[in-house]
Amino acid sequence: MAVFVQMPKQGNTVEECLLVEWRVREGDSVKTGDILCAIETDKASFEVESTASGTVLKLLATAGELVPVLANIVAIGAAGEAVDAATAAAPAPAAPAASVAAAPAPAPVSPPAAPVLTPRVASPAVTPAQSTAAAVSPRARQLAAANAIDPGSLSGSGINGRVTSQDVQASIDSGASPRLTPLAKAVKAETGLVAGSGSGLGGLVRARDLVSGAVLRERPVLTDLPPENIPYKGVRKLIGDRMAQSLREHAQLTLNSSADATALLAIRKAVKENAETYGLPKISMNDLVCWVVAQTLPFFPEVNAIFDRAGATVTRYHGVQLGVAIDTPRGLMVPVVPDAHRLSPAALANIVAQYVVDCRKGSILPDLLQGGTFTVTNLGALGVETFTPVLNTPQVAILGVCAITDQPARGTGGEIVLQPRMGLSLTIDHQVVDGAPGARFLQAVVKGIENINLSLALLGAL
Amino acid sequence: MVKSIVLKPEEIRAKGKLQFKDIELNTYATPMKEAAKHYPRGDLLRMHRDMAILREFESMLNSIKREGKYEGISYNHRGPAHLSIGQESLAVGQAYTLTPEDFSFGSHRAHSEILSRGLRSIAQLEEGALLDIMKNYFGGLTLSKVEKDATGGVRELANDFFVYGTLAEIFARETGWHKGLGGSMHAFFCPFGVYPNNAIVGGSGDIAVGAALYKRVNSRPGLVVANIGDASLACGPVWEGIVFATMDQYRTLWDKGHNGGLPLIINFVNNLYGMGGQPVGETMGLKILARLGAGVNPDQLHSERVDGFKPLAIVDAYERKRKILQEGRGPVLLDTLTYRFSGHSPSDSMSYRTKEEVDAWQAQDAIPAFADELVKAKVATPAEVEGNLKYAKELVFRAFKKAIDPVVSPYLDPGKTPVIEKLMFSGKKKLVLDSRQPEVLIPLAENPQLKRLAAKSRFGLDAAGKQLSGMKAVVLKEALFEAIIDRFYEDPTLAAWGEDNRDWGGAFAVYRGLTESIPYHRFFNSPISEGAIVGAGVGYALSGGRALVEIMYCDFLGRCGDEVFNQMAKWQSMSAGILEMPLVLRVSVGAKYGAQHSQDWSSICAHIPGLKVVFPATPYDAKGMMYTALAGTDPVVFFESQRLYDQPEIFVTEGVPAGRYEVPFGEPARRREGKDLTICTIGATIYRALEAAKTLEEKYGLTADVWDLRSLSPLNYAPLVESVKKTGYVLLSSDACERGSYLHGVASNLTSLAFDYLDAPVAVVGSKNWITPAAEQEESFFPQPFWLVDAVHQRLRPLKGHVPEGNWTDGEILRLNQAGV
Repeated sequence: MAVFVQMPKQGNTVEECLLVEWRVREGDSVKTGDILCAIETDKASFEVESTASGTVLKLLATAGELVPVLANIVAIGAAGEAVDAATAAAPAPAAPAASVAAAPAPAPVSPPAAPVLTPRVASPAVTPAQSTAAAVSPRARQLAAANAIDPGSLSGSGINGRVTSQDVQASIDSGASPRLTPLAKAVKAETGLVAGSGSGLGGLVRARDLVSGAVLRERPVLTDLPPENIPYKGVRKLIGDRMAQSLREHAQLTLNSSADATALLAIRKAVKENAETYGLPKISMNDLVCWVVAQTLPFFPEVNAIFDRAGATVTRYHGVQLGVAIDTPRGLMVPVVPDAHRLSPAALANIVAQYVVDCRKGSILPDLLQGGTFTVTNLGALGVETFTPVLNTPQVAILGVCAITDQPARGTGGEIVLQPRMGLSLTIDHQVVDGAPGARFLQAVVKGIENINLSLALLGAL
Repeated sequence: MVKSIVLKPEEIRAKGKLQFKDIELNTYATPMKEAAKHYPRGDLLRMHRDMAILREFESMLNSIKREGKYEGISYNHRGPAHLSIGQESLAVGQAYTLTPEDFSFGSHRAHSEILSRGLRSIAQLEEGALLDIMKNYFGGLTLSKVEKDATGGVRELANDFFVYGTLAEIFARETGWHKGLGGSMHAFFCPFGVYPNNAIVGGSGDIAVGAALYKRVNSRPGLVVANIGDASLACGPVWEGIVFATMDQYRTLWDKGHNGGLPLIINFVNNLYGMGGQPVGETMGLKILARLGAGVNPDQLHSERVDGFKPLAIVDAYERKRKILQEGRGPVLLDTLTYRFSGHSPSDSMSYRTKEEVDAWQAQDAIPAFADELVKAKVATPAEVEGNLKYAKELVFRAFKKAIDPVVSPYLDPGKTPVIEKLMFSGKKKLVLDSRQPEVLIPLAENPQLKRLAAKSRFGLDAAGKQLSGMKAVVLKEALFEAIIDRFYEDPTLAAWGEDNRDWGGAFAVYRGLTESIPYHRFFNSPISEGAIVGAGVGYALSGGRALVEIMYCDFLGRCGDEVFNQMAKWQSMSAGILEMPLVLRVSVGAKYGAQHSQDWSSICAHIPGLKVVFPATPYDAKGMMYTALAGTDPVVFFESQRLYDQPEIFVTEGVPAGRYEVPFGEPARRREGKDLTICTIGATIYRALEAAKTLEEKYGLTADVWDLRSLSPLNYAPLVESVKKTGYVLLSSDACERGSYLHGVASNLTSLAFDYLDAPVAVVGSKNWITPAAEQEESFFPQPFWLVDAVHQRLRPLKGHVPEGNWTDGEILRLNQAGV
């Protein structure tokens, strides 16, 4: 008798998955573990492995279709065997009516007993990472390619910060460009490989350190390629539609402020210098800000809230389920740090670091992508000085962390000094949060950052 | 303008009455019996036969266009067919008196005129001469298509050749008169005196004047006929042509042997309609077109109306008018009456006239009427008349079958072979276009201007590197003069005209001293008729002479737009290389005189295929490029800048050579060498760019490669690309308004050719997209050196410590374009 492979259930709140493409055809022989198809949820993409061996009797869904989880997608059996239409079409268990705006702290739910073999999820599809394209002039690109330099790593002196050939030349002249052993030079010339990080003395690049430089090397050829059509679907479509919906349906107001980052920088420096002694993890500026936010939010439940328009309710929380925006090759992901207000900076940093790895690999648990009450997003590392974060609805507020820049300020003696200041951009949903409460929260965050030493001293109280 | 003409108030202010002579209307009334005595019987029979051929030919096209078939054979002709059914008698009457040395120009409705002149020429020429013409036309290609099936003698073969060749041209076949590149509205055949027919209404109105001028200036035999429609009289260029053709100076000032009115018949083919508009009663007010002659000159242009329904009336008129032209009393205006039975074109639904009107005119149809007269006067038998009709039908049917056969009559495939590309320019070098001795007034060495120039320095900088005054060094306008006068002493056909050219020396004194050397007929003042100035140049050049014409200000190009863009630019290629166009148009770019006298329109000219467009900015280049222009066979628009007429040579250290040399078109010249950015300019902007380059070096330590493009089309990009490879940055500038400037094309091409070598997008700095303000405010309009430095800072590479005065940012580009300024 034929057995059915189902659309796997990816976490508790995923109702349907996009069937991206079939990897098998009807009549193919498959073994347990063979890849049947590629699917995408709203947050990640996966491959579905066969849970049975035999002949593919029937594909029960078509590529491009949104298939409810646990619905039958493939019938596998003996060659020539008939598929019972009624069984094949058996609908998946009724999908819950709940919307994406799930409860902030979802309770784990046991998967319903599967009538057929439960598929295993194969390792997530890996998309090669691409560096964010900085504006690099064609001439600079060419010169950089010829010298095995990544022009994106240089700061541009041209119009609008464009990296020019002068910048590349300066990098070459300054010796910042890699030095190669004679053998590495010969191999490089022959193979077109480019220098990776050098493992030799003083960073000297050895032949074995050469890596593929396709992106750099082939640039002049790439310009000849036809335009690419990137389908607007899957994760991209989900992010895009939500962004548009967020902007369309919510009265977004962004408040900008900045905080003296002197103390923040000092702590990070101290952490770095004492990491070994105290066994500290790497704690980034963003981790510290997140920690301050998590400590501050319990006092401002009006911004730590979920707006349910249909239910005409705003639910304010005192505990903090902190969404942390992470940039991945597949698009923006926002995993949630549960009960962030209970965590020390080090613990929070550990969790976020793991999230970054999992999100980039695509292996983050879908359940971790739900249930936030407030989100922190950070473009400061990319030099952005101010921006307007888009609400991660149904949350009512999101904090954008911006770059630290030196700003003139009054020193203690009234003299003008340069002060490192971190930009902060808070977007609130003005439908349910007014400007003044938003500003009070932002002011509290600023104070928290500026006085982070005090907060840390008082940590025990929290 | 001429001291010998004295304006006397007592004469001009005297009381009196202006009187006119009567103008004859349709006076020819000689009965056939009487008239036949003056013609060989064969000629009269052939006139009938030719009318029948014309009628059959046009009826065949009518049938093809309206029903998609002829004699049961289907064919789809996609192109135009402006038919002349009803007008055949006029064409045949006119052709009877003309010989191949007479040139006729026509309109879009010229099939009958082409065929009638061809058939008449075949009857007139010696058989040997006929064979030579057929064998030599495109190497005998057309002949080869008809000769193997030919029956009868050479003339019958020639009839087949001519009807087939004309139809093949209409059907866009390679075996047509211009390889199908002219088509129905532009077909012609020079060996039989049929010159370009023009699809622009009235287009022949001034071109024919130039052909008549060519005959007068170069003492060529024959007369010129301009066949233009009655409605074309409303076109400015037609009126300009009439004024140009009736200047008093031909009879009063031109030297013996060349004086006398132009040998030109302005023949209004008066079919009473302009498309559907009616000049009589609706769109014009003359009522009787012949009236016009009375307003033009005391001869009243010897104007009369002739009934074109009577071919012998036309013959009679042409015989009388030819005598007037031979006596130097031309030109002549004829109002030849006819009526088009067919529509303006196949799309004509005849909504503008009644069936009764058409029927009434068809009842006058000249072809059966003429046959009837011949039979009644016992000149022809009914069988001979029938025989003519049969011959016409068979001749046209033979041509039709061959012309639609894709094997016999293939199309050119310009998409596959660069055939049109090769025909855009004739590209020859011809120092003289005739072997005669050039007519001049004094030996070259005695020319007063050349003597004056002999005392001047050839180089414009003194030993200390300081620029000499224009009084001491040869300047650009004088360098131009040296080339021009030299060519006048070499090419006997070279003639120059324009407004105030002679005694005044041209508005900017380029021609100072030319009057002393060159007789009137080679160098004269024209009326203020830019259309006719250029149109006559086109006619003069395509007839075989070399013309140098001038329109004073660039801003007046609009006044001769059709002549420059449709005529001067196109006839070489539309004729498939049969015609050459050795015509140089001097255009002066002004300044200081406000919005209508200060515009650089070189971009507009460079946009038009078929023109060579150059803009020298130094005396050395001006002279060398003028030599090149006047030695070639292509039309050249030669731009000059009024800012530079008094500029001495400061780049070529040996100075402006006193002798001959040519500067080839299309090669940019580097005026300063540098490594940090490339600046290219067109025209006078080169000097401002050099100032900017100086600032960039002195204040910011950047050295610029500065190029004067010199030529817009053609243009060799290779040295520019090399420069860009070196520098990585490009700034382009000229006085043309920025929007649509030719420089944007240069920017696009350089970006394509050197993309991987660029460190920033190419920047274009033109004049503002405004009117040119007054002289006092010009610095806000034309690119200034500091604009260029600002543009480098904001578009190419930031200059340390530079504080820009202007705004050249992306946002400003967006804003300006959104505002449309």
